[in-house]
Amino acid sequence: MDAIKSFINIFADPRLFFILSVAALALIVWKREIFARNIVGYGLMAVLGVFFFFGLFDENFVLIIAKPDNVPIVALIFLVIFFTWYSMREAVLNDQRMEAGDEIIEKQESDRVWVWPDLVYTELISLILCTAILVVWSIGLEAPIEQPANPAATPNPSKAPWYFLGLQEMLVYFDPWLAGVVLPSLIIVGLMAIPYVDTNPKGNGYYTFNERKAEIVIFLFGFVVLWSSLIVLGTFLRGPNWNFFGPFEYWDVHKLEALTNVQLSEYVWVRGLGQALPDNILLRESVGILLTLAYVFALPVILARTVFRTYYDKLGATRFYVTVVLFLMMLSLPVKMLARWVFNLKNIVSIPEYFFNI
Amino acid sequence: MADKKSVGHAYNVDFLNVVFAASCLFLFLTSIWMIWDDYDREWKGHQRQFVLLESEVTRLNLESAQAAVDEGRLEELRAQRAEAEQTVLLNRQRVDELEGQLERVEADLYLASQNYNFQKADYDVERYAFEEIQAEHPEDAEGLRPEIDAMYDRWIELGLEVERLTADRDGLREQIREFTGGVSDADTEIREITAETTRLEERLVDLEVDFVNDYLLNAPLLDFMAPTLTVQQTITPNVVDDVNFTRVPKMDRCQTCHLAIDREGFEDYPQPYRTHPNLDTYVGSASPHPIGSTGCSVCHDGMGQSVGFVHSSHTPTGDEQTHRWEEEYGWEVPHLWDYPMLPTEMTEASCAKCHKDTVYVPEASSLNLAYGMYERAGCYACHRTRGFEDLRKPGPNLTRIAAKLEPDWVGDWIRDPRAIKPSTWMPRVWYNSNTSSPEDARRNEVEIDSVVAYLFANSEEHEFAVRRPPRGNAARGEEIVASVGCLACHIVGDESRLEAGPRRTFGQPLQSIGDKTSYEWLFDWVRDPRHFSSETYMPDLRLTDREVADVAAYLSGLSGPAGQPAQATYDDDEVGEVLLDYVRSVLPTAEAEELVGGMSFEEQQIDLGRRVIGRYGCYSCHEIAGFGQETQPIGIELTEEGSKLLPRLDFAFVHDIPHTKIEWFKQKMRDPRAFDRSRVLQPLEKLRMPDFGMSDEEVTLFSTAIMSFQTDVQPLAAQVPRSARHDALREGRNLVRRRNCVGCHEIEADGGDYGELLDDPSLAPPMLTPEGAKVRPEWLYAFFREPITIRPWLDVRMPSFGFEDDHWNMVLDYFAAISDVVGPFRTHDPVTLAQVPPEGRELFDLLRCQQCHVLDTIPVDQPTDNLAPDLRMASERLQPDWILDWLREPLAIQPGTRMPMLWTELPDSFYPQFGQDGERQIEAIRDYLLTFRGGPSPLRAGN
Repeated sequence: MDAIKSFINIFADPRLFFILSVAALALIVWKREIFARNIVGYGLMAVLGVFFFFGLFDENFVLIIAKPDNVPIVALIFLVIFFTWYSMREAVLNDQRMEAGDEIIEKQESDRVWVWPDLVYTELISLILCTAILVVWSIGLEAPIEQPANPAATPNPSKAPWYFLGLQEMLVYFDPWLAGVVLPSLIIVGLMAIPYVDTNPKGNGYYTFNERKAEIVIFLFGFVVLWSSLIVLGTFLRGPNWNFFGPFEYWDVHKLEALTNVQLSEYVWVRGLGQALPDNILLRESVGILLTLAYVFALPVILARTVFRTYYDKLGATRFYVTVVLFLMMLSLPVKMLARWVFNLKNIVSIPEYFFNI
Repeated sequence: MADKKSVGHAYNVDFLNVVFAASCLFLFLTSIWMIWDDYDREWKGHQRQFVLLESEVTRLNLESAQAAVDEGRLEELRAQRAEAEQTVLLNRQRVDELEGQLERVEADLYLASQNYNFQKADYDVERYAFEEIQAEHPEDAEGLRPEIDAMYDRWIELGLEVERLTADRDGLREQIREFTGGVSDADTEIREITAETTRLEERLVDLEVDFVNDYLLNAPLLDFMAPTLTVQQTITPNVVDDVNFTRVPKMDRCQTCHLAIDREGFEDYPQPYRTHPNLDTYVGSASPHPIGSTGCSVCHDGMGQSVGFVHSSHTPTGDEQTHRWEEEYGWEVPHLWDYPMLPTEMTEASCAKCHKDTVYVPEASSLNLAYGMYERAGCYACHRTRGFEDLRKPGPNLTRIAAKLEPDWVGDWIRDPRAIKPSTWMPRVWYNSNTSSPEDARRNEVEIDSVVAYLFANSEEHEFAVRRPPRGNAARGEEIVASVGCLACHIVGDESRLEAGPRRTFGQPLQSIGDKTSYEWLFDWVRDPRHFSSETYMPDLRLTDREVADVAAYLSGLSGPAGQPAQATYDDDEVGEVLLDYVRSVLPTAEAEELVGGMSFEEQQIDLGRRVIGRYGCYSCHEIAGFGQETQPIGIELTEEGSKLLPRLDFAFVHDIPHTKIEWFKQKMRDPRAFDRSRVLQPLEKLRMPDFGMSDEEVTLFSTAIMSFQTDVQPLAAQVPRSARHDALREGRNLVRRRNCVGCHEIEADGGDYGELLDDPSLAPPMLTPEGAKVRPEWLYAFFREPITIRPWLDVRMPSFGFEDDHWNMVLDYFAAISDVVGPFRTHDPVTLAQVPPEGRELFDLLRCQQCHVLDTIPVDQPTDNLAPDLRMASERLQPDWILDWLREPLAIQPGTRMPMLWTELPDSFYPQFGQDGERQIEAIRDYLLTFRGGPSPLRAGN
C-alpha cells in the first residue's frame, strides 16, 4: 500500500502532473473512439471513486480531501472528467453517423419543442435538488468561527479562492504583473473575442469533433489542462510555502525547494560568453527582449506564411492575427513552464531595477 | 397520453413525476433536518439537565430553610391572626359599609386622576403652540393668552379634586384598618419569617416542568420568540479581546453551560454544573473578580463566544481526560483559536495579564512558585524578560575561581553538574540529546577542557582574610549550620529541588561541598562572604571565628559522588581543529587558519575557551573575566512568549507530541535539544540551551511562568490600580523574595519555610505580616542595620544583610503598605510613670505578664514556646496603637500565638479596675508598659 502511495506521490510532481495531463489530452483526442466508449467513461469514474475511497484510509489524504473548503473540488474532478467524456462521446457518435451518412442525433429530434413540460419540469426538479443538496452541504460541512484575522500571522499556505488557483499557480512562473494583470485580462478579452474570430458555422447546436478539431483541442487544453487541472493541483498538491506535496504526503512546513533558477541574461553572458553581466540594462537583457518581441510580433507572421497558411487564408489577416496572438499568449504559460523545468530558466527578461520581469 | 414520448417528449413524464416526488420528499426531509440541526444544541441539553439539578438543590435548601423557621413564633402569629379575624367578623356590617364607600371613592379618584392627567397633556400641547407663536409672531400672542391661562386654571382645579378624593380614600382606609389592622400586622410578620421558604417554594414551582414554558416556547421554529433556554453571556467593558485590528470587550458565553459557576450549592455536581472552586477569589459577586466585570476567558483563555465544547477550545489535563474527551465530545487539539484554554493547573499564568511586574500574586500559589523557580534557574539571565531585568547574575562569580576550585573538579562539574549535586540549578551544557554520540564526545571534552583552561588562566588572585585558619569541630559546626538559619537558603541533604522549593535552593546546595573546595576557602567565605565576592547575596551571620571554623570543618567534611569523568580522550591538534571551526564562523578560512596556526596549544585552548563560553552563554549567569555587562544574552526574549503564535514555534521532526504551544514549551524544558532530533547539523548549528533535568512538575511550573509572559492587552481599568501603596506592595513583594526574606519569615501568608524544618514552630523566625502596624520604623531601620537579639532563647538569628538604604526603605514601605498604616509618624504623647494610673501596674501584676515576657531576666521554668520578648523594648520598638490592638485580640493579628486573649468580653471586662471598663484597662496597661526603659536597643548602637 505504501509503495502505491509513494508511486502516486511521485506522479503528483508538477512536472509529471502537467506533462501527463497534456499527454492524456493528446491521447483522448487521438484515440477518441476508444475514449468515447461507455466502459471507458464509467470506468474512469469508477477508478476515481476507488482512488478516493482508498485514499480515505490515509490520514494525510483525508486531511486535505475532507477539509470543508476542498470538498467541492473533489466534486469538480468528477464533474469535469465526466462532462469531458460525455461531450466527447456525443461528438464521436455524431461524427460516426456523419461518416456513415446518417443523420446526427440532434437532427433526428429537431421536430420537437420540449419546453413544457420537459424543460420546465426538469428545471424545477433541479432547483429542488440543488436546494436540498445545499442544505445537506451546509449542515454536513461545518464553517466554524476561527481566530481573528491577524496581519502578522498569515496562514501557510495562503491560498486564493479555488477559482483563482490557476492564476496563483501562474505566479510560480511569471511575474505578478503578468500572471495577475496581463494574462487574466487577456483571458477575458480572448473570451469576448471568440464569437468574432470563430466564424466556423459548423457544430452549432450539435456535438461534433471532426468539424471543429482545432477549436475543441484549444478549448480542452486551455480549460481542462491549464485551468481546471491547475485548480486541482493548487488545491490538493500545493502545501506550506507553496511547495509540492503528493496526496499522501504530510504537509511539513520544513520541506524545502532549491531555488536555483537562472536568468536568461545569465545564461547568455555568464555561462555562454563567460563574461560579467553588462551594466547597461538594455544590453544585458537584449537577447530576452529580442526573443519576446519575436514571439509576439514575428512569430505570428511566420506562422501565417508557413504552418497556419490555410487558417490565414480562411480567416483573413485581422482575425488570424488576433487569434494567433491570443493563442500564443495562452501557450506562453506552458512554454515558460517547460523552460523552467528543462533549463531552470527564471525569467526571459529580468529588469528588477524597474520591477519588470517576463 | 398513452405514449407521451411519441408526441415529442424528451423524458417520460411519469418517470419525471416520480423523480419530482422523490426530490420533494428529499427537500422536505432535509428541511426538517435543517430545523433540527439548528434546534439541537449541546448547551440546551445542559440547561434542561440543570433545571433538574436546580430543583434538587432548591429542595434541599428549602428543607434547611424550613428547619430554620421559628415554628413557635409562627404558631403564635397564626393564633394572633385568628384572633384578629374574630374582631373583623364581629364588625362585619360596619366594615362592609366602609369598604363599599371606599370602592366608590376609588372609582371617583380613578376618573379624577385621569381627567387631571389628560388636562395636563392638553395644556402642554396648547402651551407649546402658544410659546411658539409668542416667539415667532409676538403680535398674535396677546389675544391667545387668556385661553392658555384658563386651561391652566382648569388643570389646577382638577388637581384639587384629586387631592380631596385621595384624602377621602385614606380616611376610609384608616377607618377600615381600625378593624382589620391586627390581621395585616400578623400577615406582615408571617411573611417576613417565611420569606426565604416562600421564595424557594415559588422557585420550585417555576422549575417544575410545564407545557408552555418547557415545550411550547422552546419548540423548534417557535423558539425565536421567548425561549426559556437561552445563551447566557457576560460582556465585560474593561476586559478586552485583542482582535488584531482593535480591542473589543470580551463576550463570554461560558455560563450558557456552566450555569452554576457563581452559585453556591453545586460544588459536588459534575461539570459543567459545578460551582467555581474558589468563589471567594473568583467569579463570586463579593470577590475581587466578579463574573460580571471579569468574565471567564481572560483567566482561562479559550474562545469565550463559543457555546460548543470543542469550539470553545477546552484543554484537557492529563492523558486520561484527553482520552475521555475524545470519546465523549469528539475533542481534538484546538487549532481554530490562537489562545486555547489553559490546562487547569496552569490557569494562574493569566494572573499576570493584569497583575504585572510582580513575582508574588496573592492566592496564586503555583504562579508564585513558578516565578520563584524561574529566578532560581536563572532563566532571565539568558532570556531577557520584562519584570526580571537588572537582577543579579544567578550563578557564582568566577573571576577568582583559582582560589576556590580545582580545574579537574570544574571539568567534572560542568560535564554533569547534577551527578555531583542532584539538586543544583546549574544545567548540563554538554552531553545532551544532540551532543551525546561518540563523535560528539571528543568535541565535548575539547570544549570542556578549554572552558576550564580559560577560567583558570583568567582568574584573579585572592588573599584569604585569615592566612592560617584554626581548625574547628565538625560536630559543633553541624549544630550551628542546623540552628542559626543556614538551612533557610541551603540544603545539605538529598532533597530534590522541587521538595526544597525555590526558597531553600536560594543558595547553592551544600551537597558534596567538601569535595568541591578547600577548608581555607570555606573558612574565608563563611567568615565574610563579601570578602570573596562583594556582590554576593549571602548575608553575614556574625559568627565568631571559632564558630566559623566549626562550620567550615563541618562543610569540608560533606562528601558525595565524584561526578562524571571524561567520556573520551582527544589529540592535542583536535583543539586547533575545533578552534578553527569556531574562528571560521567569524573570519575567512585563510585568516582563520593563519590565526589558529600561529597559536601555541595553550593559547589555542584558552582562545577556544573564550569562544565556547561566548557560544553557550556561561557569562549570562556567571561573572567571567572578559565578558562585560554589554555582552548580549544568548537566549531569545521571553517577555511576550506566552502570546507567541503557534506557527512561530518550530517543531522540526518532533511529531510525537501534540502540536500546541504549551506542549512545545514543555518539550523544550524536558529536553531543550529535542527539536534537533533527526536533523543533520554542524556542531555550531546545534541548539545550545542547556538541560536543567526538570521533573514533570517543574516542567509544568516553568510552562506556567512562560505562559504568564503575555503581550499587554488588558486596559489599565482592568489592572491592579496604580497608587503609592500598590507600588510599595509590588516592589516589597519582589524584594523580600529576591533577597529570600521569605525563606525565614512568613509575610502575607507566604514563606517561612525555615519554620517548617523545626520541631517546635515557636522557635521559628517571626511572622512579619503585621510588622508595619506593630513596629516603629526608626527602630526597625536601626534593627535592620545592626540586628540585636530580641528573643535570646532562639538559636536562629537575623543576619546582617548590608543592604543599601533604598532597599531598607523599600522594606519599610512594604510593611507599612501591608498594614495600610498612615505613615511612619503617629501621635502618642510620651508617658511617664507619674501619668499612668495605678491600675496599670495593678493589672500588669494581676495578669502576670512577667510569667512569659522577659523583663530584664528571662522567666525561669517556662518552656521556650511560652517565652516572649523583653517588655522594656516596647517603648522604643512598638507602635502604641498597635499594643492596644494586640492586647484586644492577639490571635487576629498573629494566628497561633501563645499570647492569651485576656479581654474576651470587650468592652466589658472580668477585672474590677475602672468599673470593669475593658478599653480603659487595656490603655492603662499599655501606658504602664511604655514607661519601661533600659531594654536592648539597636538605636543606642549609634544608628
